[in-house]
Amino acid sequence: MAQTAYYITAAELAARGQADIPHELLSAKHFIYSSPATLDFNSPGAKGFGVKRAGLVIPESVMLLVAPGCCGRNTALLDELGYSERFFYLMLDDTDIVTGRYLTKIPKACAEIAAELDKKPSAIMICVTCVDALLGTDMERVCRSSTEAAGVPAVPAYMYALTREKRLPPMALARKSIYSLLEKQPRKSDECAIMGYFSALEDGCEIYDLLRGAGIRKIHEIGRCQTFAEYREISRANFSIVLNAEARYAAQDMEKNLGIPFIELVRLFRIDKIRNQYRGLGQAIGVTFDDAPYYEEAAAAIAALKQQYGDLHFAVGECMNADSFELALALTEYGFHVSEIYGTIGERNFIFLKKLAELSPETRIFSNLSPTMLNYCRETEIDAVIGADAMYYHPELPGVHFQGEEQPFGYRGVTLLFTQLAEAMRLREGGSV
Amino acid sequence: MKKLLKHLSPLAPDDSGACGVLYELGGITVICDAGGCAGNVCGFDEPRWHEKKAALFSAGLRDMDAILGRDDQLVAKLADICGQINAEFTAIIGTPVPAVIATDFHALERMSERKTGLPCIALPTDGTRLYDYGESMAYEALFRRFATETLPVKPKKLGILGMTPLNTGLTRADALITAMQAQGWEEVVCFGMDSGLAEIRKASECAHILVISPSGVKAAAYLQKTFGTPFTADYPLLPAEVITQAEALRGKRVLIVHEQFAANALRKHLTDCTCKCATWFLLERQFAEAGDVRIAEEQQLIDAAADCDVVIADERFRRVLRGFAGQWISFPHYAVSGAAGQTA
Repeated sequence: MAQTAYYITAAELAARGQADIPHELLSAKHFIYSSPATLDFNSPGAKGFGVKRAGLVIPESVMLLVAPGCCGRNTALLDELGYSERFFYLMLDDTDIVTGRYLTKIPKACAEIAAELDKKPSAIMICVTCVDALLGTDMERVCRSSTEAAGVPAVPAYMYALTREKRLPPMALARKSIYSLLEKQPRKSDECAIMGYFSALEDGCEIYDLLRGAGIRKIHEIGRCQTFAEYREISRANFSIVLNAEARYAAQDMEKNLGIPFIELVRLFRIDKIRNQYRGLGQAIGVTFDDAPYYEEAAAAIAALKQQYGDLHFAVGECMNADSFELALALTEYGFHVSEIYGTIGERNFIFLKKLAELSPETRIFSNLSPTMLNYCRETEIDAVIGADAMYYHPELPGVHFQGEEQPFGYRGVTLLFTQLAEAMRLREGGSV
Repeated sequence: MKKLLKHLSPLAPDDSGACGVLYELGGITVICDAGGCAGNVCGFDEPRWHEKKAALFSAGLRDMDAILGRDDQLVAKLADICGQINAEFTAIIGTPVPAVIATDFHALERMSERKTGLPCIALPTDGTRLYDYGESMAYEALFRRFATETLPVKPKKLGILGMTPLNTGLTRADALITAMQAQGWEEVVCFGMDSGLAEIRKASECAHILVISPSGVKAAAYLQKTFGTPFTADYPLLPAEVITQAEALRGKRVLIVHEQFAANALRKHLTDCTCKCATWFLLERQFAEAGDVRIAEEQQLIDAAADCDVVIADERFRRVLRGFAGQWISFPHYAVSGAAGQTA
């Protein structure tokens, strides 16, 4: 009987190909281990931006969760983030979930919430769960009735964990919902929107300077909107920059309904690829970016870590603001070693895995969600770790969570990561961690 | 509106309660969900998740699994995992998904046992009820299944039912065991906390059963009926600071809100006060006094507190009783405030 965590090397996985990924790496093929390492990742609605918190990114909105009690239990964790006054719950009992009789109560509940609040909310997000996914509830209709009853726009938020691997997974639907209240208005040529994350980019990200240098005077981000009026200004954008593929569908809706075209960029940690991406963006909007200072700064941060600590061996997780495989590839290309990856491989990142296999064929790839991770213990050389999950597995090693709410992007993301790694190494050397 | 929570967030559900009872028993427990329910259990209702490893998994159901009723695939995955992790039994815990599609849990139990060769307990919790309902279901199923052998009674052995983090906020049994040993019991076992399935199999050795939550009453009644083991209800884990504040009260009208046995135990510390106990959870009539109430809605709590000078309850209930001008004594209950309240 196997008593070890399952892994496969990068070379073995690349040789098998994307069509033959072992079942142990595919969450649909086995039970899911909600390891302490991955709770934020695997617990929609918990502390990170799950559907519940994402739905409330619309300023001045409130949420009505229509579900059995178990679905809303951990929402209390969001209280400490200041959401306690923004959640309401319509609790379903077993008769409700069999008969669907609760659907007629939703508009009444919305009306009661709107009437009771001191200030009328900008919107009521009606969050539904697996129950409605299975019952096939027509949420558009429910929301129309609720809007009429409450006198406030009601918008669906689909917390459908059952459809996590579908074309429109819950977080893509959430992104569609949160931009759905925007109305068409004249676009302004010197304004754009950045889409993809629920919180804003880190303030020092070079993309702000680059866009301003290109004549963009106002950059809209939903994570920076403090009021509903600011939120509504997003539809003045002349174009959108989509930084996360899950926002593509929302961007497509905005293109169709508001006439705002979009460009997709990817969060990368290989600085040459970042440079190529900015060149492409510049061509799309008709400018040439001078990104040299930012490139140099990022390259210097990488060199500084290498110079001081040598060819470190890393373990790279997935509970962080990066793609595990792209980051592992970047580290390898920079001359570091990646001993282990705890990540989810798929169509999106298999290309990085193939390149990684050429440079670092012995890198071990684990799936955080595999039940065999219950048996995990370290067998490789690791000097430092990246990601909250990797830090859980190796609490004794220096590491960085790199999972903050301010989103890293571009050269700035690289600079931040390597600076934080150097600091973690320094603290560990000094015995402070 | 009934069932509309405007101030509280939901209390611990039945699936969390069932998982809490099974957590330390050495089985493989599968929550029959898409992932979110397991996340709630592991990330919120089960503080032992960060201290003690357990084979607790999500079935990872997807929409077509539910729509097509692919129980055979669920069982096949269970069999796979039995080949990877040592276990004494398996358990399948219900959630809203199997409730909607009317999963036959008895059939799942039989299919699993045939496929894995291990005993299986399938509990049809559905996430709409509260934790003690799930605990009660799990305790009863466990003892009926495994506590079948009549062994010689050890006169100084005490068994305790209801010792779960959701009832007590504790993740270890040593404090309660020490307290009971001080009362003269030589051997004390808290079923399901710091003890495994072997102790449940040997339950008939106990001379007495102490039930610290209504969730243990059905299992205790089974042991009494099957082996003649007597039981009593009490809660010897009252926080000292709560007792001190309660004992200082005189001439007050007091409302205690907690699980029933904890509230009853605290009531005994009041002097010259009128008191009613209220609970959002199970209320066993044989252990209730006149005026004790079961609360199901926020308004009922407001009504219960309306004629009281003192409320003794979890801090989370303050939100419901914002207008309450009397004295508040904090009496944490993990099933109410959970990880967010850090009551453990």
